[in-house]
Amino acid sequence: MSAEFHDDYPSYEHMAHHSEEEGKKTRKTLWRVFWIMLAITIFELVMGSLAPGQGWTGATWLKFLFIALTLLKAGYIILSFMHLGQEVKFLKYIILTPYIVFMSYGIFVILDEGVYSGEPINRTRVDPILISQQEKLKAGHGHHASAPAEGHSEAPAEEAHH
Amino acid sequence: MSHSTEIDSKEAWSGGQSPFRISYGKMMMWFFLVSDALTFGGLLVSYGFIRHKYADVWPKAENVFTHFPFIEKHLPLAYVGLMTFILIMSSVTMVLAVEAGHRNDKKKVIMWMFWTIVGGATFVGSQAWEWFHFIHGTAEGALRHVWDMDSGKYVEKVVYGANMTVNEYGVPQFANYFFFITGFHGFHVFSGVCINLIIFLNVLKGTYERRGHYEMIEKVGLYWHFVDLVWVFVFTFFYLL
Repeated sequence: MSAEFHDDYPSYEHMAHHSEEEGKKTRKTLWRVFWIMLAITIFELVMGSLAPGQGWTGATWLKFLFIALTLLKAGYIILSFMHLGQEVKFLKYIILTPYIVFMSYGIFVILDEGVYSGEPINRTRVDPILISQQEKLKAGHGHHASAPAEGHSEAPAEEAHH
Repeated sequence: MSHSTEIDSKEAWSGGQSPFRISYGKMMMWFFLVSDALTFGGLLVSYGFIRHKYADVWPKAENVFTHFPFIEKHLPLAYVGLMTFILIMSSVTMVLAVEAGHRNDKKKVIMWMFWTIVGGATFVGSQAWEWFHFIHGTAEGALRHVWDMDSGKYVEKVVYGANMTVNEYGVPQFANYFFFITGFHGFHVFSGVCINLIIFLNVLKGTYERRGHYEMIEKVGLYWHFVDLVWVFVFTFFYLL
């Protein structure tokens, strides 16, 4: 087995070792990453509950901020927790390249095809009751912050629930 | 930590050693995760497509997921936030188990693996609780057109909660994607807990101590972090945006 490898290890499995000091350093890094991720998640939740018009009425910059923070968290998970940052660059490329290529196409599909197929003429199967509920809600509020659920019914008891 | 240094590309591909400098098992786990990530990516792309299509009638998640266990209050997304925290936390305990494995510290591996399993099981339970409330809906319900089998036409009826055909909160597509995406992810968490449990028992038995390395912890760890990674995206695209 050892002839196959041009390094000190009998096989690549045995690379899974490190010393006590290295462990200390690694743990410190891991906990720092954890605190960063926790701070990001709390920030997202606070921003999400403070922002008056979320969902499709929400501010565009906030949505892009959420997506950017998500990618940041994903980067921390992949590079730090999954140790991809410590692997050789060939491995990084074969893992990340196909995924980024396919997902770029997927995002293109959402942004291009999804928008034009959303024209009301292409949407024949939405319940008319739901549409009228939505229209009433949109006409009825917009100035007070704690607006009732957009997808909810117009039932009188609805107000008591919130 | 794998002691992988940057290697000369000409040297690496001329044979004798793997240019990837990684064990077979870990590499195959990575390949599996890439394919699994493409599946989840496909689901989220499809979700994004339909959400664009029904943008004006799509419910807002913070109006749907407002419950918190044992607290009778309107707390939008608070429980999902807690679930996210639990999963990130269990990812941290997993990576600490991997780190302990690198030092052949069996006791620490057992401890961190145990907390990882607890975190994972808590997450699955929370998911079930959330599904339960989503399916049961609010006390008021909402008026919808519902297909009536007897008369063979659509009738107006108050519906409560959501299933695959009717949805109190908005278009049925929202419920369909909620069940499919969080269900698929929840099943991944469930199988992750099972795999972690098997590896945990092996650690207790001393299998990896005899083998001389705890690389198996690293492999299941990769899977577990992947599950966390998927949730980070589901959390953003399903609940936050």
